[in-house]
Amino acid sequence: MEYVYSILVLVGLYTILASSFNLIIGFGGLISIAHPIFFALSAYVSALANLHLGVPIPLAILLGTLFAAVMSVALSLPSLRVSGDYLLIASIGFQLGFVEVIKNVEIAGAASGLTGIASMYSGEHRSLAFACTTLGIAAVVVWAVHRLTHGEYGRAIQAMRDDEECFASLGRSAMAIKITLFAVGSGLAGLAGALYAHYFQYLSPEQFGIIQSSLILTMVVVGGMGTTLGPVLGALLLIALPQAITFLNLPPSVMAPLQGMLYTGLVLVFLFVRPAGLAGKPIRQ
Amino acid sequence: MAVIRVAGVRKRFGGIVVAEDISLEIAPGEILGLIGPNGAGKTTLFNLISGIHAPDGGEIWLRDRPLSGLSVVRRARLGIARTWQHIRLFPTLTVLENLLMGPRHYPGEALFGGLFQPGARRALAAQSRARAESILARIGMPDASHKLPGELPFGQQKLVGLARTLMNDGEVLLLDEPMAGVPAGESAEILDTLGALPGDVAVLLIEHDMDLVFRFATRITVLVDGAVLVEGTRDAVARDPAVKAAYLGEAAHG
Repeated sequence: MEYVYSILVLVGLYTILASSFNLIIGFGGLISIAHPIFFALSAYVSALANLHLGVPIPLAILLGTLFAAVMSVALSLPSLRVSGDYLLIASIGFQLGFVEVIKNVEIAGAASGLTGIASMYSGEHRSLAFACTTLGIAAVVVWAVHRLTHGEYGRAIQAMRDDEECFASLGRSAMAIKITLFAVGSGLAGLAGALYAHYFQYLSPEQFGIIQSSLILTMVVVGGMGTTLGPVLGALLLIALPQAITFLNLPPSVMAPLQGMLYTGLVLVFLFVRPAGLAGKPIRQ
Repeated sequence: MAVIRVAGVRKRFGGIVVAEDISLEIAPGEILGLIGPNGAGKTTLFNLISGIHAPDGGEIWLRDRPLSGLSVVRRARLGIARTWQHIRLFPTLTVLENLLMGPRHYPGEALFGGLFQPGARRALAAQSRARAESILARIGMPDASHKLPGELPFGQQKLVGLARTLMNDGEVLLLDEPMAGVPAGESAEILDTLGALPGDVAVLLIEHDMDLVFRFATRITVLVDGAVLVEGTRDAVARDPAVKAAYLGEAAHG
């Protein structure tokens, strides 16, 4: 059962990551791939706050989440002035640079990683408790993203994407919406990061690299960009798939490239065969 | 007191002068017709008033408030509403939703309003919706609420664009060619709407259809090459020889 619970924890964490990324890229139309940065920032902040300052874990998780949201605002102020391709290029730069920075921060364990992080739960039902927590939080996140994107706020987001200049001439600030979406999305990625830190109890810069970007992006594309349930389906599929191929008992030297090929292959297949993803046609397009 | 006052506004794009010392005033309830040949700088003047372009010199006032340095967003919130020559409805929003993007105050569009929608906000949203529906009924489109703009004939799209600016409830309305491209059979509702604009609003109306301008405008300003050629009452403008030569004559020949 332990194995199943650990998979459920991953499904919950990646549902939060993919849903929040979908808020930014699918609904907001902001093409950034720097999502793992905020995932990582919060993971490290939460872990270090608990480890060195003795901040209780729930508070540390909140601290990490807020830190990720605040940092995303700092990052988005210069970045969101550019849009489209330029935003993508800027985000790739941030993403690649960030991992290099972490590799050189001693207090964060540098390249060898941060160990000794406290677990949020202990005892024999640890994994079950974690699975329930992450899946519960994931459900709330999916609900919140749905509410945000389908009410009056969602209407404003949609109008902003249709015609920014006209949107401004009606007294609405596109920049305010973009920064808000970016901050909420990044904050939620941070929430996933902090939970991740206190579950796996070990962080290393490699876990937050550009491969992570591509995994989250694949979940959103395959599941259905700009849909509520798409990222949930995407997360389920892409967490289940690698587990399925582990039963093939292939040597690690084959497994790693095989997983990478599967992600890329899936994106390509979906872009050609079903561009709207598993969850079908984006609701409002 | 004038609602909107343009004082000595200048603007050039590179070597091309698009606004040369333009001054005009519009009082509440007044419709100022803005006419002139293509490229005279009429839409540029709209862009200067609504804040899309910053003038190189001069000042624009909304009552006693100078508008320099205020963004498009701030100006719209102060009550400057505009239509566009090319309509620019939001294509993925329904007609009703397009109208609901019109009001200046929209508490439900705030982040927490979007998440939780407390009762007071729901009431405001319902009010806006009722208002939009009554406007749609008034312009003869009660059944179009849930259609997408692309499903409507061109004249009705123009009408929805006009209705959206009416939802702003502002003091200034900038109407950029409300009749351009509208087939004769679809023009009646637009004419009715123009005839029934709120009485206290200052309107600046760009239109190529001279009959329309002379029918609705209380005063007329003629722009040529970015400068005011003549400004005055309908009759004075119609009789002015310079206007006849520069514009009306050209239209008569064209």
